[in-house]
Amino acid sequence: MAEELIIETHELVKSFGKFTAVKGLSLAVPVGSIYGFVGPNGAGKTTTMRMLTTLTRPSNGTAWVAGHSVTSEPRAVRRSIGYMPDEFGVYDDMRVWEYLDFFAACYDIPENERKRLINDLLELVDLTHRRDDMVDKLSRGLKQRLSLARTLAHDPQVLILDEPASGLDPRARVEIRELLVELASMGKTIFFSTHILADVSEICTHIGIVEAGEIIAQGSMEEMRAQLQPHREITVTVRDEETAQKVMALMQNRDLVIGVTELKPQGGRARVRIDFTGDDDGVADLSQALNNEGIAILGFAEEIKDLETMFMSVTKGIVS
Amino acid sequence: MMSTLTAPAPNEASGPITAIEPLSPREARLERAARVLRWAAISNVLLALLTGVGVLLAAAQVDPGVFPTLHDVFLSRYVGASDLALALVILLLFLNMSALLVVMVGVLAREIWAIPALWLLVLLNVSGVVALGFAFGAVTAIAAVWAGVITGRDLQAFRFNPVMLKELRGRMRGVRAFAVMSVYLTLMSTFAMLLYLIYNSIGRGTGSAAAGELGRVLFVGVVGIELLLIVFIAPAFTAGAITGERERQTYDLLRTTLLTSPSFVTGKLESALGYILLLLLAGIPLQSIAFLFGGVSEVEVLLSFVILMITAITLGTIGIYFSAVMAKTLRASVRSYSVILGVMFIVPVVLSVIISLVRDILFVQLNVLLSPALEALLDYTEALLTALNPVTTALRTQELLVNQQIVGFWRATLSSDGSTIPMVSPWITFAIIYLTVSALLIVLAIRRTRAVEV
Repeated sequence: MAEELIIETHELVKSFGKFTAVKGLSLAVPVGSIYGFVGPNGAGKTTTMRMLTTLTRPSNGTAWVAGHSVTSEPRAVRRSIGYMPDEFGVYDDMRVWEYLDFFAACYDIPENERKRLINDLLELVDLTHRRDDMVDKLSRGLKQRLSLARTLAHDPQVLILDEPASGLDPRARVEIRELLVELASMGKTIFFSTHILADVSEICTHIGIVEAGEIIAQGSMEEMRAQLQPHREITVTVRDEETAQKVMALMQNRDLVIGVTELKPQGGRARVRIDFTGDDDGVADLSQALNNEGIAILGFAEEIKDLETMFMSVTKGIVS
Repeated sequence: MMSTLTAPAPNEASGPITAIEPLSPREARLERAARVLRWAAISNVLLALLTGVGVLLAAAQVDPGVFPTLHDVFLSRYVGASDLALALVILLLFLNMSALLVVMVGVLAREIWAIPALWLLVLLNVSGVVALGFAFGAVTAIAAVWAGVITGRDLQAFRFNPVMLKELRGRMRGVRAFAVMSVYLTLMSTFAMLLYLIYNSIGRGTGSAAAGELGRVLFVGVVGIELLLIVFIAPAFTAGAITGERERQTYDLLRTTLLTSPSFVTGKLESALGYILLLLLAGIPLQSIAFLFGGVSEVEVLLSFVILMITAITLGTIGIYFSAVMAKTLRASVRSYSVILGVMFIVPVVLSVIISLVRDILFVQLNVLLSPALEALLDYTEALLTALNPVTTALRTQELLVNQQIVGFWRATLSSDGSTIPMVSPWITFAIIYLTVSALLIVLAIRRTRAVEV
């Protein structure tokens, strides 16, 4: 691959006793991408992220983050990542600015730089007015924003976010999403896990679909769309079986048609599905051709697949 | 079953404590200084063991000249009995080892106190070499100077511990800290008042002797309550220190930062001890009331403070250790309290009762004369058991101080043959045992928190 990778794993395996949570996962996250790590609950997303953040040691395989091995150079990896787990860890008895100050100190940022840094971070996540509030009194959405500010304290190259939008109300979710796009525009690579497909289709440049500890598909959004839906599916509805046969005969030998199948009749009407790789004009031509032959058509519809159906068609639902 | 209850096991590949992957020249330098100190600590233990072997040989009277020779070599300027001199050498070596380990942790954790502590160690050892002829002190002095030179190149590295600042900020916030302190002082004052009233109502006559006795009762009462308090709160503060972070799910956040485990563990310990120190300092005026009545010397007050503080440090580190090992605060607390109860209270008390019974039966009832060696062994065992427990240590130290004006070393006369053996006031043995255990537990807790989950 020509792209420069910032997270790269090779045949990553993690087993807990007899149970294998991650089975030979190979990830490739390019620099500067917003990478959506999608999969059902229990697919091994969190385990993978814990290995990438050096919290758990892989049972087998290698993982590199920003050019450092997670097993032999964990501290170098920690310096280059900002990690947000799916549970927000709250300290009681702590103010918003103290929270950021503490973590900045943990990243060894000198005291005289911290004040300015905290102000900048609070401004970035729009929490300046909550500077002196207690952390445990914040709403979930605000906590999530504060958490995101924390991951940025040491200006890391990669953000590894575990379910950043889970449990948020729609408004907070949109705000987090906007924030992620803004961070990506600042040059950070964002690797986040989610099971909400709307998040992915809105903002991701890259996507990896994982199920039962294995990557089923990954690549840029365009590649994925092309890969998952390489052709258009057009369903033609006609009055009876005989007409359907006529349609099939007619379509079989046309250019760009790669498959014709007869579907189960619905409501007494016969249906034919045409798999077509042409463009919009081509689709118009198809319908024109059918009209020219005098075939009475009751319905001529192209099925647009959204990400949800794409997802359903690739994941086999092993976990759920 | 156990795997869910205890923390993840340390990784086998995690190596010694100083092997933290350095990210900058600064960290590499600190590592180097820590390594020097670690080797010096190990050398001290080895030297102590060697001296111990020498003492055993001498005691077995393989060669009558061994004691004076060892005395001349190891502690040449010390005027006193040779056996006492060698006991002193061993004690000093262990003290040095604990100090070196603590300073090593301080250097790794980049604690601001590590630098003065390092040079104080140099100063003390150099004066030990000069004044006492304590030859082994040179090992510690040289290592400390070496580490001091390495760290001296980058004094900016040393700072206030972020974990300690965070904890103290939280603990001292609002009215709670103020309320706790007020309740504590009210209870202590009420207790002192009650003691006073009870003692007065018994009516032991008047005069300065009686007043002195009252002063002593008040002093012992207040120190006793403080000791009780420390035994209960020191482990409570620290047993939840690391497990609490796990339970609040902030532990993972901390582990993905660049915070090193020495910083983390010391910060936790410092904040707990800082608060206990505050309580003890707040109690000093109450202790000083005893001065009004007389009968209590400054040395007693000082020694009581030393014993209280060392107890707090050790109980605190026991809490931290179990907090690092166990997964849940409750389990860590139960473990800490049971170990403290068992090792510090039950075992020493039971054993000393048994020993005094044996003595009583043999000497008084049966009139059997023991060999001097066996009697000395019994005496030493008893002294050791006394020093395992802060309460007996305090009482025995006070008894020696008040009745015989003994602060440090003394000689006990054996009833079997009238010869004398060297003895140490229990607070010294106590301090060395407790500090050594603390230093080792801190190092183990750090290793434990450093391990990556397998």
